[in-house]
Amino acid sequence: MRRYLLRSYQSVLILKPDIDEARVAEALEKIGEFIKSNGGASLRIENWGKKRLAYRVKKNRFGIYLNLYHTVESAKVVELETKYKLYDLIIKYMVVRLDDDELERALGKETEVEGESKDEDKKAEAKVEEKAKVEEKAEVEEKAEVEEKAEEKDS
Amino acid sequence: MPETKKSSVFSQKICRFCNDDQSKVFIDFYDVKALKPLISERGKIVPSRISGNCAKCQRILTRAIKKARSIALLPFAVEH
Repeated sequence: MRRYLLRSYQSVLILKPDIDEARVAEALEKIGEFIKSNGGASLRIENWGKKRLAYRVKKNRFGIYLNLYHTVESAKVVELETKYKLYDLIIKYMVVRLDDDELERALGKETEVEGESKDEDKKAEAKVEEKAKVEEKAEVEEKAEVEEKAEEKDS
Repeated sequence: MPETKKSSVFSQKICRFCNDDQSKVFIDFYDVKALKPLISERGKIVPSRISGNCAKCQRILTRAIKKARSIALLPFAVEH
């Protein structure tokens, strides 16, 4: 009966960055169904929010991270992974097996870290946007200067 | 060799993950804040002879970093 062992796993999923919260909730529901259909149950769901990726994944620089602790029949992990692969909102996924003590630790953990990282990422994103704005401004100013010079020459 | 900021960080050769009561060491792959100082500017894993980690923790750490890389939390390589 070892084949039907119910083991605990951690799934980290990266969703497309350009979807709104409603669609994230929708995706979560669907992912919950995936897990249920493979004889498991989700134990804890974390939304890490939008994060900057360390490298580009399918041409995306950002991604919405979801972290799920769940159980799945050990023989059906492959099936679950194929379902992740075929779901179009997920751009990257990773399923990690957890030992009992690891799971205990994960479930007992507070979610303090979550908020901090979110703020940082928001800052990072804001910075990127600011940079873009500054560059735009600089360009505009340059143009203005050039125009001024041209006017001076004319006069 | 010019002194870098990192050398001061690794000046004391004490394992940063071992705890006093010899309980099991956990290093989460999603804890980027803890992992970031242990990869070089290029994204390489800092060897234990420099960071001062013990062999056991270094193995656990290596596994954590590799997991973090595969889910895009840490870079495989930083291009210059």
